[in-house]
Parts: sequence; structure tokens; C-alpha cells
Amino acid sequence: MKDFRRQCELFSRVTPCGRSLCPTLFFCFGLIVVPSWCLSASRLESDETSISYSKDIRPILSDNCFHCHGPDPSTREADLRLDLWDSENESGANSVITSGEPETSELINRIFSEDAYEQMPPEESGKSLTEEQKLLLKKWVQEGAAYEKHWAFEAPVRPVVPSVSDESWVSNPIDAFVLARLESEGLQPSPAAKPLALLRRLSLDLTGLPPTIEEIDQFQQQETEHAYEFALDRLLASPHFGEKWAREWLDAARYADSDGYEKDLPREVWMYRDWVINALNKDMPYDQFIVEQIAGDLLPKPTQSKQIATGFMRNSMTNREGGIDPEQFRMEAMFDRMDAIGKSVLGLTLQCAQCHTHKYDPLTHTDYYRLFAFINNCDEAEIAVYTKEQERQRQQVFQKMEEIESELKRKNPDWKSKMAQWEESLTEHDSKWIIVTPDVDSSGGQKHYLLEDGSILAQGYAPPTQNSDFKAQVDLPKITGIRLELLNDPNLPRGGPGRSSTGLCALSEFKVSAEQKDNPQEKVELKFSHATANVNPEKQEVLNNKDGDSKEVKAIGPIALAIDNDESTSWGIDVGPGRSNVPREAVFTLEKPLECNSLTQITFSLKQSHKDKQSEPLHTFNLGRFRFSVTSASDPAANPIPKSVREVLRIPINERTAKQVDQVFGYWRTTVPTWKEANSGIEAAWKQYPEGESQLVLHEREQARKTCRLDRGSFLSPAEEVSPGVPGFLHPMEFDSPDRLDFARWLADPRSPTTARVLVNRIWQSFFGMGLVETSDDFGLQGTPPTHAELLDWLAVELMENNWRQKHIHRLIATSSTYRQQSVTTASLKRRDPSNHLLARGPRIRLDAEIVRDVALSASGLLNRTLGGPSIFPPAPEFLFVPPASYEVKPWPYVDGEEQYRRSLYVFRFRSVPHPVLETFDAPSGNVSCVRRSRSNTPLQALTTLNEPLFIDCARALAERALELETQSDRERLTYAFRRCLSRLPHEEELAALLEFLNQQKNAFSQSSSDKTQLVGTKMDQSGTSRVSLDPAKFAAWTAVSRVLLNLDETVTKE
Amino acid sequence: MNCQSQITQNIPPRTLARRWFLKECGIGLGSIALGQLAGISAARASTDPIAPKQPQFTPKAKNIIFLFMAGAPSHLELFDFKPDLVEFDGSLPPPELLTGYRAAFIKPNSKLMGPKFKFGKHGTCGAEISELLPHLAQVADDITIVRSMTTDAFNHAPAQLQMSTGSQQFGKPSLGSWTLYGLGSECNNLPGFVVFNTGKKGPSAGSANWGSGYLPPVYQGAPFRTVGDPVLYLSNPPGISRELQRDSLDVINNLNQRHFEEFGDPEIEARIRSFEMAYQMQATAPEATDLAQEPQHILDLYGAEPGARSFANSCLLARRLVERGVRFVEIFHEAWDQHGELVKDIQQNCLDTDRAAAALVTDLKQRGLLEDTLVIWGGEFGRTPMVEGDNDDGRDHHPNAFTMWMAGGGTAPGLTYGETDSLGFNVVRDKVHVRDLHATILQLLGLDHSRLTYKSQGLDQRLTGVEEAHVIKGILA
Repeated sequence: MKDFRRQCELFSRVTPCGRSLCPTLFFCFGLIVVPSWCLSASRLESDETSISYSKDIRPILSDNCFHCHGPDPSTREADLRLDLWDSENESGANSVITSGEPETSELINRIFSEDAYEQMPPEESGKSLTEEQKLLLKKWVQEGAAYEKHWAFEAPVRPVVPSVSDESWVSNPIDAFVLARLESEGLQPSPAAKPLALLRRLSLDLTGLPPTIEEIDQFQQQETEHAYEFALDRLLASPHFGEKWAREWLDAARYADSDGYEKDLPREVWMYRDWVINALNKDMPYDQFIVEQIAGDLLPKPTQSKQIATGFMRNSMTNREGGIDPEQFRMEAMFDRMDAIGKSVLGLTLQCAQCHTHKYDPLTHTDYYRLFAFINNCDEAEIAVYTKEQERQRQQVFQKMEEIESELKRKNPDWKSKMAQWEESLTEHDSKWIIVTPDVDSSGGQKHYLLEDGSILAQGYAPPTQNSDFKAQVDLPKITGIRLELLNDPNLPRGGPGRSSTGLCALSEFKVSAEQKDNPQEKVELKFSHATANVNPEKQEVLNNKDGDSKEVKAIGPIALAIDNDESTSWGIDVGPGRSNVPREAVFTLEKPLECNSLTQITFSLKQSHKDKQSEPLHTFNLGRFRFSVTSASDPAANPIPKSVREVLRIPINERTAKQVDQVFGYWRTTVPTWKEANSGIEAAWKQYPEGESQLVLHEREQARKTCRLDRGSFLSPAEEVSPGVPGFLHPMEFDSPDRLDFARWLADPRSPTTARVLVNRIWQSFFGMGLVETSDDFGLQGTPPTHAELLDWLAVELMENNWRQKHIHRLIATSSTYRQQSVTTASLKRRDPSNHLLARGPRIRLDAEIVRDVALSASGLLNRTLGGPSIFPPAPEFLFVPPASYEVKPWPYVDGEEQYRRSLYVFRFRSVPHPVLETFDAPSGNVSCVRRSRSNTPLQALTTLNEPLFIDCARALAERALELETQSDRERLTYAFRRCLSRLPHEEELAALLEFLNQQKNAFSQSSSDKTQLVGTKMDQSGTSRVSLDPAKFAAWTAVSRVLLNLDETVTKE
Repeated sequence: MNCQSQITQNIPPRTLARRWFLKECGIGLGSIALGQLAGISAARASTDPIAPKQPQFTPKAKNIIFLFMAGAPSHLELFDFKPDLVEFDGSLPPPELLTGYRAAFIKPNSKLMGPKFKFGKHGTCGAEISELLPHLAQVADDITIVRSMTTDAFNHAPAQLQMSTGSQQFGKPSLGSWTLYGLGSECNNLPGFVVFNTGKKGPSAGSANWGSGYLPPVYQGAPFRTVGDPVLYLSNPPGISRELQRDSLDVINNLNQRHFEEFGDPEIEARIRSFEMAYQMQATAPEATDLAQEPQHILDLYGAEPGARSFANSCLLARRLVERGVRFVEIFHEAWDQHGELVKDIQQNCLDTDRAAAALVTDLKQRGLLEDTLVIWGGEFGRTPMVEGDNDDGRDHHPNAFTMWMAGGGTAPGLTYGETDSLGFNVVRDKVHVRDLHATILQLLGLDHSRLTYKSQGLDQRLTGVEEAHVIKGILA
């Protein structure tokens, strides 16, 4: 055995150790609570069960020892690891522990030592063991010091359902696990909640909305035992189920509608949000849910829906700040994706291994980058996607074109031979061009990458004005023309070739100058005689109105505008949706050929002076990917034939597929003069083609990107190359050269020790406010141990054996007696188990931000239940979206109308300027993945529900609902309004207090002249009737009392 | 004495609420000695995460006012005079300086550009300060100039996040949040961490600069405005008088109290308290932010005008808020990104900020508040000694060296600390990394940066991260 003592002495002198990682907090800190269920004195006192390494010992070792004696070699001291019993390369725990003999175990001696040099953990580490922990360790060594694998790293197996004394309480196995624990603690479950309380709880849990009056009435009319089941069925089938549960996953998916960082520009990703809602409503099996989101694009039939699913990965932020290195922020996005997968799917703190080997979990630095390698081979793509309606429209366009083309073919049976004749008449254009490879211009904020084919890809910040010079050495005796090609690239919006939000671009001016190598002083600007292009849209004037008052007119049109010495006019490529995102070319013919007697340096100058052309908020119209060529051929001109058709033409006629033949036909017909009518018919059809929506998706690269381990996580310090692979402590992967799809399937493999557990735990967390594992993002060694480990495993197995259907778990939980307990916190329970870890009562939790707002909308009857679609802009303080509150002006097109009353999950989410109502109630901003929201209780929340305009709107509407009631009795009206908020009937005292307040306010308002109209406003109600037709004083008083109801703690709480 | 024992005594809610508020959450806790606090609000402390807390050791500073000069001011025009840069104006920088150097907009190998303004020595300490800052020059003996700041990022959003949260990554708590977490707030009727935005635009990365990250959200900064409602939704809606608000709160609290008695959930008590605090805030926040209450000579000192949206107003408000026990005030003035038009814009920025920043130091000092209020001035990085643009009138982002100044709160007055090389490119003496600055700030607050931790993602996280950070002893008084 090594001399542990000497080594430790050495290290305690040499290293200051992790003083940084001191868990001790100062006085009266209500935040770090030692979980009451956790070990504690009872573990020592009770002799019945032996001490468990996983439950009792490892948490102590992990917290206090593993930092210096754990998996990470870079901070390991004395070559000792306590996370392993024996180790090949280092000293394992067996070098300092003798099973059954605490007296001769170095570890025990050291932790009990009072000698500062000997004592472990050393004082300067900031760690210390309590007497209890020391005794526990000693007892554990006495009992044999059994090591176990960490519970969460072994796949769950279905545990035996425990027997309990009160079997009548057990509705399903969940209750047996919970009750067994309660009985062992000498506790009893709480009585069942009242039926209406349960209905409200269940409705909020499953749909995020309180029950309507009709639903309450229906529930009360049914027989009690069936009523709950009916409600459960109805709620599980409700389309609002998907909305409620999507919001939870969207937190994990760090969903937002803007791209973050400085500019934080709007981005179109709502189709992904709707994908999540639909998947949950359909109860898509969770394994499929994961596979589609991580690798839907690689599945056999990558439908639009499967591609949209990969938006999960693309929800990472994008820095569009000027002067960034795009690769740096691509890497940041990659780290973010790893973090999101770690937290949401694996329940592991993967990002701890981004810079070094994990300090606690057996995840090496290399493991991290091997996982990283799976997802590192993607382009950051943005594609056009279509709603159902748009898709129908597209198909109509295709059908119309197909009809016209078929008709042409039918009427011209010899079309094939004519087309072949045409093809023979074509001259080869492409071979005359020599591609030149320039130096990339690195100034001006936009970054340029030179690609292998000599083209240049523009990335990073897209300035509104970008003038770039590209210099190239050309060795050609004569130059007659210059070609500028615009090319597609998956990294451009809709594949480009431009950088606008729909992949368009425009070129203000194109200039070329030349200097001979032997005479560099003489730089001559080359004059063009004319220019040709294979796209020449009609000239169109656009108003440049960034500030609203600018009257500067700009124009986009044919290629001539790129050489007219007028930077306010540009060559454009927009020929309408559906066919603008294709390669284009322009050829600039020199007035007189450039004769070169030596190597010539040519400078290609692109002037892109767009400002905010077309009020484009997202990007400017800069070229996205382009390439320069030169020729010495006479009369150079742009090839009118589209690039895709040219590629088909290179294939011998008899080897072409039917689709390829159609492609050629599609172009050829436009050249046939007598087919003018048919051609205009097709042109007209194109006009009907929908613009569609955009969606960020993954796109696998053809050429694999190299992945290296990054020293300290810095992309500037690549170390050795790594291949894709999975960490050894998790389940294996049996593929030779696995790709991202294999990785996705591996994540959702039933053998995965954490995947199913993490999901059922998160569902549990949503129902009960806290997971069975409280750290729902961390099932590793530093995570909190499960309160009910067997229940967690039982649920995980249950999920997998039921085809990963989530609604099955929802149903089990909802029908358990555990869930249906009342949520009263008795004095003894508050003392015994303040956080309700043992589940001796039902959950009582402040609702999530979105639901707080949705409850007000629903109770007031204003709620607009429309599902899905683009995000909405409810009222918000305008100043938030303009400087200096916001970095730049952010669009917030609020329109007073039905849209503002839609559910909060549809509220547009700017990451840097979250909607204040949602932010105040702790909605995460989407900057990082979040699987467990914090819940605060602040005065700013009170100000929000009391004073925010939409909440006042809700108070007015609730007052109207009450006043509409066909009754003269205020009691009945109040009861009705009360039920709309809280479902239950008011107690007599509550009613009395509210009635007194109402009468008080009626008096007050009838005496004051101005207040009431201010409060009730002059707004029209939904049917267009003025609300003022109601007696203003009465209406105002009812609005005041409605506002009280909407502000009750119970209204914003699930209980 | 705690809220619950009173509440259960069947006192009419309005009386109760008012009495409770005065006793339990009384205004002016800031005037009570720290030592007494623990005893007085033990009840509050056990349930309220922003109740005042004892520092870990005797603090020098109780409050912080951080003047965040976002966009990154040029140290070369303001604080760090370089005769060599004058001499080598127009020549290329020594190539060895540029090894591994990344620039945002310029080619690193751009010509050097001499400082555009004159410098003079000021105060008895002889601090070298640019002619652009005549007011600051007058308080030279009260401030500590740190010329040896350095950071890691050279783009605004990550660098501002690093200054604000210690990390270039999102999701981390801000300095103000850590302060509130460590010390709580001595003020119940105003947020403990208040943020102003006064520049040309908001800071890069927006609210993440004052976010609470993985700390509970109660610690995040509350944006205040100098025009309109200082706090969002502070005013009652049209038609709701203060009396009706009071009556409404009474019935809300009454019903909540009744419900608490049935359900026993402490969250309901906390809700009652939140509503009462909100009601108080509706009175105190407008009062606290009413600059019309200030005498003319004080308004003149700052250059403040009631009702204006200005840096000067925010500085004066910062003082008023600190007087009322607000722990941390941060003013973001994003205006300093002078890639071009350096001369014109930096002059304007100094006109906009110099008088008020100096006035803040003077005013705090004359009120005896500077002793325990730490004022910090600075941006997220510096500017390149190399020129940007063709007009000889701009500088690019430069993380290697920049200048900040501090005043009060236990910093050594009249000191200039640290040194850059003869071109102002790299720090050559007494380097202060952002995390060293953070460690020092916490130290002044009586908090050990290595012991102020919060468990998240399995780790005891801290503001200064995992890299070594040092308290800059050289700048402590």
C-alpha cells in the first residue's frame, strides 16, 4: 500500500486545493436545506437496514472528496481516487480502506484526525465532514465498505411493488411505493382533496387552464367516481394538453423567437414550437420524440415535419454582432446543444466536461468531445416550410404547371426530338471560364470564408452596407469578361444565394480594377461595355424607411443596375417565391480586352449599399455565396440556362430519369416562341406560389468536419482528433461508424439508464412541484438522491413498456391516491416535511408564468383558444423595445384584437427583452436549457397582476361576465365570478367580504364622476357593444371586485 | 416576533397590514446597525430570501453603484497617456505584439494612432487624466484608477456578460445578483438591485446583464426608468385610486389570510407580504425617484434635470436609492463603441457623463456615504492602439488592456494602479483580470469570493468561476 499519509501531507502543503468549492454558507440561509428525508441521524440509529453506498456514502464522498480524489486527473491529488474501489492506474479506495476494519483504514483515521496536516478533507479545501458523516463512514467500513455503481448509471429494472398495511388507499402501484415510505416514517397520507379542487388541479396540470363553468357543471352532474375519469379522458384528449406540456419541453429546448446576444433579431422557429405541441397531443412515443428532434433529417423519409423537429438543436443562439468570429459562436452553439441534451435527455451535467474531465461523474474530457463529434457535422440551415394551407396552395401550383406542360407535350408529340435538336444547338459556355481564387476581405465586420471550389461564403454580422474588395492573382494574357456566380449554400437562409431572411440578395455596384505585377503603381479600373445575367427582374422602386421619415428611394432590377454608377440601384434576383433560391450568374463584358504582359492582380469590388432595403429587419441583402471567374473568350455572356438544368444536360439523354427530363423540358419550353401562351400560364401559376415560413433545421454536411478535443474548452486550442463514441459508464453503442441518427437512437434506447427516468421524473416534477430526483437536470453523483428510487424505476419501466407513451404516465399519476390528496399543510407536516418530499399531502404550487396569465384570460372569458401559428404580440410597454432599454428597435406590432388574448405560450419571446409579465413570474429567457424553473414570490408580481393592462382588461371582462348573468342577485353574480376563477364555491365569509367590498365600491364610484369611466374605459366588447351601456358605477365596482378575485393567491396557484 | 403570530390574532386586516409593515418590514432598516439586523428580522430572514444577511466578515462597502460604460471607452483617450503612441503614430505595431491577436473589425496589422486628446496631472496624487474629463480630474484624490484591467472576450455581448456575470456564457448570475444573494437588501419597499439604461441603446445581451442566472430569480435586477413609472406597472390603472388600491389589498389579503389558515402554506403568507410591499413601493418608489425634491445646487452639481432621461439623472437617483437602502445600482450607458468618429463621439460621451460621475463621488462624500458605497466606472474592454477606418478617427475592440476607476467603499483614494506597455497594448504591471476585480468587489462587501457559492448543476458555483482569482490588495485602503 502506498504511503497515503505522506502523499497527502505533500499535497496539503503544496496545493491550496479547492477553497473555491466550499459548500458552507453563512448564517440563517433559507436556501440550502438539508433534505429531511436524507440519511441523517436515523440512518445511524436504525440497525435494521445496512448503510447503502449509493444513498448514504457516495454523496458524502462526492461532495467532499472527489474534487481532489475523483475522476479528473488534472485536479487529482496523491494519485488517489475514491470514486473507484480499485483502479488499474491509480490508487483506488481499497488502498485506504480495509473492509470491516475501520481502525486500520487510513481513510477513517484521516477523517477523524485532529492534526491539521493529517486531517481530511484539509481545512483549506473549505470542506468539512460533520460528526454524523464521519460516524456513518466508519460504520460503513465496519459493515464491509461495499462499493456500488451509482444508481442512475444502471438501467432501471421493474421493482417489486411493496406491500402496505392500508391497501385500501392504494389506487395503483404509485401509491404502494409512496405509502410504504410513509408507513415506514410513521406518517399517514392526507385525505383526498375535494372533487372541485381536484378538477381544477387536474385541469391546470393537464392543460394549463382552469375548468370552465360548463366543465364544472358537467363534472358535478356526473356520478363522482366516474366524473373524475371522464374529466381525465377529456383533458388528456384536449388540444390544450399539448400546449401545456409543450411549454415545459420548450424550456428544455431553450425555445425563443429571437437569436440572442447583442442584436437579438427575430427568427422564425414557431413551426418547431407547433411541432412540439402536435407531437405531445398525438402522444408521440418519447423515443421517437427524441430521435426526430436530434436527427429527424437523417431518418429514411425526412418529411418536412421531421426536419422541423431538428429545430430543437437549432434553438441555440446566434451572435450577429459586428466583427465576430462565426466559428467561435458556432462552437458556443454546439456547447449549448450538448448542454441541452445533457439536461433534458440524459439528465447529466455534460457541460462540466467541456473544459476538463468531470469532477464527479465518470465522464472524461475525451468522452465529451466524442459525444460532441456526433452532432458536429451539421450546417446551420434555414429552410422554407409550409403550413397545411400553404402546402395545399403549392400542390395546386405544381398541378397547374403539370397540366399545362402535359398539354404541351400532348399537343406536340414530337417534343422529345425537338428538345434534343435544341440541346444539340447549345454551345458550351462553362468551359471558357477560369475560376479565380481571391484573398478574402477580412475588414468591415462581415466574415468571408474561402471554400474549396473557389467560392466565398459570407457569414457573421451582415452589415447594411458592405463594400468588400477581393484581390486575386490572374495569369492570363487577355481578359475579356468577368463572371460573378451566386451560389447556394445550406448555411444561408433558405439556401441563399443571398443573406436576406428569404435568401435573396442584391448588388449595388460591381467594379473591377487591375494592376500588372511588373507595374503595380498603375492600377486601372476596367470599364464594362455591358453586363448580362440569367435573372433580370423588372425594375422596382423600394422605399428605404428605416426611421419612418426617410424618403430615400432605392431600386432593384436588372443587371444593368450593377454597373450604372448609382449605388441606390441594384441588381436583384427576386423572381418570386419558390424559384428565387437558385444559383445565378452575371457576366460583365469589358469595353476593351485587358492585355496582360505579366501576372495581374485583379481586385473585384462588391458594393452592397442596402441600408434597410424593404425594411428587412433580419439581414441585409448581401451576397451570401459567390465566385469570380475570368475569360478570354470573345463576347462573353451569362449562360441563360439554369445551373440545375445544365447539370442534367451533361448526362447522356438516355440515362436521364423522368424527373430530369422534365427539368430540361421546364426550361426548354420557355425558349419556344410559339408556346408563349402556355409559358405565361405557368408564369401566372408561379405567382400563386406561397412564400412559406422559415425554420432553422439541421443539415448534415457531405464532407465530415473534424472534431478534436478542445483544451480547456477553447476552440482555439484543438488537441487530438476524436471519433464519435459514447462514454463507457453508459450503455454501449454497437455500430462501426455511427452517425447522428445512431446517436439519437442511442439516447432513446431502452437500455439507457437515465433517459426514461429523466422523463418520468420531469413529469412527476410538473405534477408535484418537485421531482422524485429534485435535481431533475442532474442524475449524476452530485444530483440529489431520489426520494422514492423504486417508484422512479417502476415509472421508467412502465413508460418504456408502454411504448414510451407519456400520456400513460400522466394517467397513472392522475389516478393515484397520492396525487389526489388534499394539499393542506398541517403544522406537524410542516415541521416534519416542509417541502413535501415524502408526499404525505397533495401539491400546492404557484402556477408557471404563462399559466398565471392564461388563468386570468380564461376566467375572464377573453381567452382565444386558437392553436399554433406565428407568435403573438400582446400589449407590452413600448419603451422596452426601443433604445436605451433595448439594444436596437425591436418590432412589437401590437394590435388590439383577439390575438392578444391567445395563450401565453404564443407570446413572442425576445431573449434580451422578455415580456415583462412572463419574466416577472420566472419564465426563463431561453438563453440556456432549463428543466426546472425557479419560483419567486415578489412585490413586482403583485404590481403586475394588480396593474398590468391585460390583467385590468381581464378584470373588466370578468365583471361583464358576472353582469351578463340573468339574475338580480349580487350574491349569485359574485359566486359565478368566484367559480370562474377558483372553480369551487365561496365560503360564506369569503362571500361576505367580497360583497362588502363590492357595495363599498358601488358607493364610492357612484359618488365620484371620473374614476369609473377611466376604469371601465370606452372599449367595445366582443360583440361590438360599448361596455359603457352598463351603468358605469356598477360596472366599475364589479371590475374592482373582479380584480380582487384575479389577484387571489389561490387564483394563481394550483392546489 | 413574526408575521404569523400577529396575523393570527384576528386583527382587522388593514390595521394589521399597516402595523405589521411598520414593525416587521419597517422603512429605514438601513439605519439600523448591521449587528442588530439578524435579531430583528429573524422571521423575515427565514422565509424571505432577500432579507438582510450578515457579511462573512467586516465589510468596507455596503452598497455599490456601478457605472457600466458599455461599448468600451478608449483608455488611450481617457486615462492611459502614451507618449510613445504619439511618437509612433502612423507606423505599424511591433509584430511580436500581434502573435495570436484577434481583432473584431480591423486587420491587426493596422497603423498605430496617437491619442487624440491632451492629458494633465491632477490632484495632490498627480493622477494623469485626459482633458475630456475635467470634472473627474477635480476628484482625482478621491478615486482609484486601475489602468491594468484585462478581459478575455473581444466582442461586446460576451465581454459585457463577462463583466456583468464573470462568464462569457449566458445563464450565470450578475454581480448585483450575487451581492443581493450574499447580503440581502436592507430595503423592503424598493428592489434591492436597480438597473438604469441611459446610453444610445441598451447593453448587448440585454437583461442577461442583470439576470440572476442559476440563482433564484428574486435576486435579479429591476430596471428603473427616469421618466414615467420608475418601475413597471407601478402606477394604479386609470380609475383605481390609492384608496381603492388599499381597499382591494385589504380584501385580497383578508381572503388570502383566511385561505392560509385553512391550507397552512407559508407561500400564502409570503404572497400577503409581497402585496403589502408592492403597495408600499407604489408610494416609496415615486418619492425616491422624484428629483424635484433635490435642491437646485445638487441638480446643478450633477447636471440633472427632473423629468429628463439622462445619465446625470440616473447618477443622482443612484445616490437617492442608496440612501434608501438599495444595495446595488447599476447604470448602463452604452455609447462608447467608437469604431469611427472617435473624436466627436467620445467628446460627446464625456460631456454626457463626466460631470455626473464626478458629482456622484463628490455628493456621496459630502454626505458621508462614500465610505460605505463603492462606485465603479468602466466598460467591458479597451480600444486598440491601432487605427480603425480610413479617417484616422476610430479604434477597434481591445481586450488586452483597459482602464476602470473606483471610489469609496474601502478603495485607496488618490491611487493609480497598474501599468500598460508603452503603446497601451498589454498590461505589464499589476494585471487585474475581470475575475480579480469581482473578487475584490466581493471582498469589500465582506464576502469571500471563494466562499460565496451556490449549488447548481452539481457544483458549488461562484462569481469568479473555477480559474484562480485574487483580491487586489494594492487598491484597498
